[in-house]
Amino acid sequence: MANLRKIFSKIYDRYINKIYRFIFFKVNSQEIAQDLTSETFLKTWETYRNGNQEIENIQAYLYKTARNLVIDFYREKGKAKIVSADLGRPISDPRQNLEEKAMLTSDVNIIRKALAGLSEDYQNVIIWHYLDDLPIPEVANLLGRTEEATRVLLSRALQALRASINSE
Amino acid sequence: MTENELIGKIRKLRQIKPRKDWVVLTKSQILGEEKMDVSLFPFFKPVYAGLFLFLILIGLLEFSFAALPGELLFPLKRIVEKTQAIFVSEEEKPKMNLELANKRLEELNQIAEKNEVKKLAPAMNEVQASISETAKNLVKSKKIDRETIEKSLELAKNKEKAEKSLGINIGSEETEESLNDFYKTQAEYLIGDFKNRTLTDEGKIALENAEKEFEAGNYLEALTILILSQP
Repeated sequence: MANLRKIFSKIYDRYINKIYRFIFFKVNSQEIAQDLTSETFLKTWETYRNGNQEIENIQAYLYKTARNLVIDFYREKGKAKIVSADLGRPISDPRQNLEEKAMLTSDVNIIRKALAGLSEDYQNVIIWHYLDDLPIPEVANLLGRTEEATRVLLSRALQALRASINSE
Repeated sequence: MTENELIGKIRKLRQIKPRKDWVVLTKSQILGEEKMDVSLFPFFKPVYAGLFLFLILIGLLEFSFAALPGELLFPLKRIVEKTQAIFVSEEEKPKMNLELANKRLEELNQIAEKNEVKKLAPAMNEVQASISETAKNLVKSKKIDRETIEKSLELAKNKEKAEKSLGINIGSEETEESLNDFYKTQAEYLIGDFKNRTLTDEGKIALENAEKEFEAGNYLEALTILILSQP
């Protein structure tokens, strides 16, 4: 058990920033992102610890859990999920910290808002490949697509993002 | 904006990170027992706890070897000695008893030298019990060899030293009598044995001296002369 805990501790350190960011882009709230991130790791730790279900790819498992929790969150709250540019602007959180407030006026905030306005697949492919540095085969695996289809998706996602920024 | 410029801007989003204190707190909440279990208190692991207790016990035993009667660790020292006695054969028991009696007398002498009055009574009791046990086992064994004689002589010297420094007799009359009877019987037997042998000049002198000591009632001395004269 101590060994499992030690291994999971390393997994936590490695993925905490990525999973938090992944969730944050989808919920646009520090507080909600924190809740869902901790729930993601707690659920994964429980599965990992009990060994009931073999986790073949911990990274894929974490992203899948995080994604499901985000979906559940919007479903429970009856909120429209921000998956498409057509659905309007992302919700801004009134409790954002100073750092986040400062970003509102920066390039980063423009990109963030534009990214939040993209469809879920476009968002994910950009986050995983350009932010988390995952190679195309791994992104393809996470998306359940072929590598070729993933490349095409990535290219279209970048075009959509550029279009969204230009329309600001 | 070129594609590279756009990708560069996307990468700036890496600035978005959770607060460090929240990261640490959440980790400790999820993997709560980790610190207790591994990092800070390794002694809580059963294997370490066992080792830790074993080391404490070894340490206590080490200290107990130097303990004197009337001290806290002395009973532990006695337990160790009694445990060792279980593994000693009946034949070797008198020698071990003599060793222990000598040890008790040395302890009594140490206490007398340091003038530790409070420890005198328990030390005396230990000496008397030990000498009595030695006498009982020597009589029971009915055998005597060079080593036993050497240890018996040492016991007599230590006893004399303690009696001088304390100004009292150590050991009950009964014990003294049984020891004396034992030495007498053994000396008598050896004198008879020497007389039936063809002796060298040295052997003859030893027999003569032993007989003199025997007649004077010094049975241990007589026994000593005869035993030590043998190759």
